[in-house]
Amino acid sequence: MKKRSISLTVNGTVHDLEVPVHRTLLQVLREDLDQVETKYGCGTGECGACTVLVDGEKAILGCLTLAASMDGKSITTVAGLEKDGQLHPVQEAFIEEHAIQCGYCTPGMVCKSVSILAKNPKPSEEEIRHNLEGNICRCTGYVKIVQAVQRASERI
Amino acid sequence: MSSRVLPVFDLLLPSNLEEAVGLLSQHGDQAAVMAGGTDLLVGMKVGMSPAFILSLADIQGLDYVAFDAKHGLRIGAMATLSQVVDSKVVNDKYHALWYSAFTNGTPQTRNAGTVVGNILRASPAGDCCCAALAHGGSVLLQGPAGKREVDLDEFWLDYRKTARKPDEVAVELKLKAPEHGYGSGFAALTRSYQDLAKINAAARVIMDGKVCRKVRLAMGAVAPITLRLKEAEKVLTGQEVTDQLLEQMAAAVRKEVKPIDDVRSTAEYRREVAGVLAKRVVQDAIKSVAGPCPYSCFMGA
Amino acid sequence: MSDFKVIGQRVPKVDARRKVTGHQEYADDLRMPGMLYGKIVRCMEYAHAKVTKLDLSQAAKAPGVVKVLGPKDVTQKGYNSGVLDLMVPEPVGQMLGDIEDQLVFTDHVKFQGDAIAGIIATSEEAAERAAELIQVEYEPLPVYLTAEEAKKPDAVQFTPLKPGNLAFALPIQMFPDGAAYAWGDSEAGFAEADLIVEETFTLPKVKQCQMEPHTYVARYGDGGRLNCWTSTQMPKCIHNKLARLFELPMSRVHVIQTTVGGGFGCRLGMIAEPQVCAMAMAVQGKPVKVSLLREEDWLGSESRHPGKYKMKIGFKKDGTPISMDAHWISEGGGYYTHASGVQFTLGAWLAGTYKWTNFRFKGDRYYTNTTPCGAYRGYGNPQNNFAMEQLIDRALNQLGIDKVEWRKKWHKTVGDDGWCMGVTYASCGLDECLDKGAKAIGWEDKIKKYAKQTGSKRRGVGVAVMTHTSGAMPMLLEHTTCTVKINEDATAELIFSCSDLGTGAHTSLQQIGAETLGFPLEDVHVRAQDSDISGFDIGAHASRTLYVGGSAVIEACEDAKRQILERAATALEANQDDLVMENKKVFVKGSPDKSIDVATICYQGVYNWVMPDTGNWIGIPGQIQGYSSYFAKHNSPPWSACFVEVEVDTETGQVKVLDCVAASDVGKAIHPPSVEGQVEGGIQQGFGQSCMEAMIYDEKGLCLNNTFADYRMFGPSDMPKITNILVEEHDPFGPYGAKSAGEGGQVAPTGAIANAIYNALGIQFTEGPITPERILKAIKEKGLQA
Repeated sequence: MKKRSISLTVNGTVHDLEVPVHRTLLQVLREDLDQVETKYGCGTGECGACTVLVDGEKAILGCLTLAASMDGKSITTVAGLEKDGQLHPVQEAFIEEHAIQCGYCTPGMVCKSVSILAKNPKPSEEEIRHNLEGNICRCTGYVKIVQAVQRASERI
Repeated sequence: MSSRVLPVFDLLLPSNLEEAVGLLSQHGDQAAVMAGGTDLLVGMKVGMSPAFILSLADIQGLDYVAFDAKHGLRIGAMATLSQVVDSKVVNDKYHALWYSAFTNGTPQTRNAGTVVGNILRASPAGDCCCAALAHGGSVLLQGPAGKREVDLDEFWLDYRKTARKPDEVAVELKLKAPEHGYGSGFAALTRSYQDLAKINAAARVIMDGKVCRKVRLAMGAVAPITLRLKEAEKVLTGQEVTDQLLEQMAAAVRKEVKPIDDVRSTAEYRREVAGVLAKRVVQDAIKSVAGPCPYSCFMGA
Repeated sequence: MSDFKVIGQRVPKVDARRKVTGHQEYADDLRMPGMLYGKIVRCMEYAHAKVTKLDLSQAAKAPGVVKVLGPKDVTQKGYNSGVLDLMVPEPVGQMLGDIEDQLVFTDHVKFQGDAIAGIIATSEEAAERAAELIQVEYEPLPVYLTAEEAKKPDAVQFTPLKPGNLAFALPIQMFPDGAAYAWGDSEAGFAEADLIVEETFTLPKVKQCQMEPHTYVARYGDGGRLNCWTSTQMPKCIHNKLARLFELPMSRVHVIQTTVGGGFGCRLGMIAEPQVCAMAMAVQGKPVKVSLLREEDWLGSESRHPGKYKMKIGFKKDGTPISMDAHWISEGGGYYTHASGVQFTLGAWLAGTYKWTNFRFKGDRYYTNTTPCGAYRGYGNPQNNFAMEQLIDRALNQLGIDKVEWRKKWHKTVGDDGWCMGVTYASCGLDECLDKGAKAIGWEDKIKKYAKQTGSKRRGVGVAVMTHTSGAMPMLLEHTTCTVKINEDATAELIFSCSDLGTGAHTSLQQIGAETLGFPLEDVHVRAQDSDISGFDIGAHASRTLYVGGSAVIEACEDAKRQILERAATALEANQDDLVMENKKVFVKGSPDKSIDVATICYQGVYNWVMPDTGNWIGIPGQIQGYSSYFAKHNSPPWSACFVEVEVDTETGQVKVLDCVAASDVGKAIHPPSVEGQVEGGIQQGFGQSCMEAMIYDEKGLCLNNTFADYRMFGPSDMPKITNILVEEHDPFGPYGAKSAGEGGQVAPTGAIANAIYNALGIQFTEGPITPERILKAIKEKGLQA
């Protein structure tokens, strides 16, 4: 098949789409659904800027996922973490720890952090660092990002 | 070529293995089989352009990690690296494989990428390839003529080339059951903590006290395929493992490897550290016979 | 000075909430009706070639293609992606010899990734697919990757304007001492020296690796206006440059700055603005977006200058650095770009750090067939630090002098000439940085402990110091403007052109504005994105934004505050000198009941009515605005010391960084978390340059690692714990005593980590990056010497 009809839930909204099979989830999110909060950074799965969550907790890469393979799946982007104007604890912690500089890695970094804490709400620093691999930040040296995950961990 | 736009292809989405094999019989020469897609899609962004992609995503029941004491470990074609990392039994009994999956890629690629995919990619630097070869086992293939098993020792034919025929689906990876005195270890040297290996090594030992009864030693990124270091194994087999013996083994390793220069490292360096890495994984494997997994720091934290 | 209300507070950054929710818009997030997508076609097969045939006809017919553009279809004017010419007096520019040797699309490919054509289509995918249909034939030319190759007499000339492919050497008109930045007599100094150390260092070509790939939108329309949305670090310079390139009056060029997804120098000057604007002019009325792919961003935007650095230092027995002679030769890539700037400043940082009795520096830059080199954080300083700090340590080992003590004794300080002779240091907290840093890392104990080690794991500690600059007065035109507009409800808008690259600059400038006005932080807003609105500025570079921009904000806010007080004095019938402004209320000193709200003054200035019952005017008319067109009076260099502890696995050559202490004198830390963030991020980049990062080319000049998979950086697990010590040595020229913090963070870590490895092994590494391959080879050849 060259196109596939899929039903994709993004931040709680169901979208019935007919997607060309060669289009990535990242392209569909950004170009078809205007969910531009999920970023392109490298396209080859190294930088993590396109990280989104499946079922609210599993981190995947938008750039290395075919949209056609996401039929019936539920995706959360960074824009879907805020609920009724209330930020997710990870988002709050990123602000409070000043873990954001240029902000381009932030959507992916926040989604990744949510996934880390979903798997283990009380990770060690070593575990946080191990699991932040795959999300490149060129601004912060990761110091304040690690601190933000630790701060969020105290609230979850 | 573009890291944002994939080339055009036709997606095949069989719902069972028979259908998959049928589709591959038809299109196998022009088709790439996709499990997690983490390698394939990167390849397609840097030049590969298969006419068809056959995705295993809709085939139910391939995402298992199963163990029994008699047959050993079975990992289904759709079982992700994350599933292996999260598996208590792998962490408990197959330390080398566990650690190779743990350090392989990133959380995102581990969530999508599969162990069987890693084996099939046949990269000489593949971490799981190296660990699996040390453990010893086979790949179960299903084709038009039915199922067949290929021993891992015969599975990789050349750089990025495997014994899988274009009309076959790799269904599972089997690793041998641990015997008494079983231990294993894995190590990789990388440029940064998370990286493709410059060189990796894995060992599986069966110890009888201080004597090494059997050993399998594997090394990656030192030849076009992941290598069994059989000369080095001979040095250890049947011997009491001493520092001196390990040095002898290391010397044998350096002779056996055939590394090259590339963007990640140099042939000279790889040859030099090959012996060191071999010693370390053998020591790790021996340590793990008695104790818990030396790499279990993240389990159940 | 501790009675600040807003300055020094760890307030949330102005853009943090937008960024953490994904609402912040970057250039690639822009959506416009009728948008078209541009693809820059680049030569990927050759690093040096003539295009002999370019057939765009098949591409033009491809589905979705609107227009194809070859070199002849666009302006033939040349440009220089760098913009130094806008910042120096014209005669100086002529002496420096800056040239405009770049074309929008070229038929002489000078590096892999050079732009040869453009495609405009209705979607990115269509443009991408059409690009594959372009037929090009090349005549390959010899590839020059080193200065030695490029300067050979028979080498193909990159431009007739630079004979011998020597893009730049210090001009003798400006540097009469043999075309060298010099004082004293270095040869005489060496004659007097008790110890001479000499080495040639090799510095790698490293990449900024900003996370947001270069992306632009341009639209030519609106009655002949060229609009360009760009995440440049220099919106006003781009404004001027685009006007010149496309021969339009500046009023017909509109530059809108989009959020900058990381700068680090990679967005200095023009990158692909010329190409995207040329495309937009070819499809009038339609917006055209060009989003570089990561792999083309890597090749098609500038890198740091690599090169060979010959350095010779003479010391007296007591450690007196009696003579320094250095010669930097850079392999600068295919175009002129920053040839003059970086080659001068490399020597400037060398000159500015220590009290060399005699000094001489030469800097040359050759053309090579590699990605052009430009600005990258530190602008020559990290290269300098790697060489200078290591060579000093080599000498100190021979002289038996402690490395911290020597640095304390011989670094320049208040009253000494800075990096530019004649501008003397006005503040220096480096001694405190060295003392506090040494204590935090446990310097004395560790030096003793690591002097004798056995076993395969060896530890070492290293120190390096640096000084940088805050704006580049007097070398650059340090001019910026700020308007503060007070709304009728007494909230304020700061309008300027200073960019925030993610550094926290806007947060800090907002704090300065609030502090100066005496307004709560939430009542002060920053507006900075639009060339139609903001005044002149030279961009976010040279660590100048807070220093120069902050001073402009102070001046503009003081202007506004003076107007408020003038009106209050009239309203309260009091002497202006007797007035106090607090909590947005002005009252007469000693009579707090005699007061007026600032909001009332502002409101009445705008809604200045005649009351019908009395016939009187209410208040004093006119909306209050403060303004500053500010020229920096100094360059207030910041200082820092970095201490690093490493463990080297001598069997594999692998280096683990165990600890890092950075002590930085930034003057007043206006927004401390932003300062810390700059230091922490700088460490990641500095360590990378010294130990991991390098662009690798094959013999054909093709880059082998233009991806994050093959160009590795320090990741979360590679980074050590960092102790961040801020030393706040007040600077008399800086805004509220502040000096810069942007670039300096990267500098000292480059030398400190190299020195730590030297301390661990007793072997010095003159070629960067110091990889395990190089370490193991050296151990094998030289043996462990610690």
